[in-house]
Amino acid sequence: MWARIINTLLGLWLMIAPGILNYPKSAADSGHIAGPIIITFSVVAIWEATRGVRKWNIPVGIWLLVAPWILGYETTVAIISDMSVGVLVLILSSIKGEVKKGYGGGWSALWKD
Amino acid sequence: MADKKNLIPPGWDYNPAAWSERIPIVILAMIGFFIAGYLSLYQFELIDSVWEPFFGDGSITILNSKVSHVLPIPDAALGAFGYLLDAVTGVIGGTGRWKKMPWIVIVFGLAVGPLGFVSVMLVVFQPVLFSAWCTLCLASAVISIAMIGPAMDEMLASLQFMKRARKAGASTWKVFWGSSSEIQKVE
Repeated sequence: MWARIINTLLGLWLMIAPGILNYPKSAADSGHIAGPIIITFSVVAIWEATRGVRKWNIPVGIWLLVAPWILGYETTVAIISDMSVGVLVLILSSIKGEVKKGYGGGWSALWKD
Repeated sequence: MADKKNLIPPGWDYNPAAWSERIPIVILAMIGFFIAGYLSLYQFELIDSVWEPFFGDGSITILNSKVSHVLPIPDAALGAFGYLLDAVTGVIGGTGRWKKMPWIVIVFGLAVGPLGFVSVMLVVFQPVLFSAWCTLCLASAVISIAMIGPAMDEMLASLQFMKRARKAGASTWKVFWGSSSEIQKVE
């Protein structure tokens, strides 16, 4: 639960940081796109039946680590912010948390025999 | 109800089609419907302005943008229709609908899932394309996102049921549409 909530807050930070810290356009666009995606996947993963969606944040976390170099950020604070958020998102997305109820084998039961 | 236990899917601890599971989603969908409906009144030019406490001209910029008029119907009207579909497909059917009418559960799941995601994409487009934010558009996106997780468990139960139906040799097509004679083969 808390891992999902912190990831949601990190996504929110990605959305508002460009405005607060005056990021250049490319860094701002990256945050405005990655932020809502991280928030969506994190909130959906709060529920036990869709907890697996937390892993969909892993590619987004990796993007945050490489984006400063691909897009050539020139603002140090944007580089530090994106890379720190990327690391935290990767760590928090790997935390499964408690699943108390049974779901008949979950989604993987659909393609297993 | 004597067969209440029967309505809990095998391997589950609760019935995902119980009213206590579905009513909160239907309420969220109705709130989303009113927000999107209000915004579409502006896009249809039935009202002159839109409530915007934080972002100045933001809402007006977004609601008049090219993206929001890319389809013949303005995007808020499309959103309102989507929420209405969520609410209606959330209400139809009894507490056994995950196995008695999988089609409605799957239509419900698809309406809540993709609609939620489209809302997020609209939020994404706002600052990137127009450097503007829209309070009620954001509120509607939050509602859409909050609905996805709680709606998906019921869809999972229906899909698992259809899988068991196929393994039991029943026609998945007939089970999907709720044929009771086919459904009995699965028990």
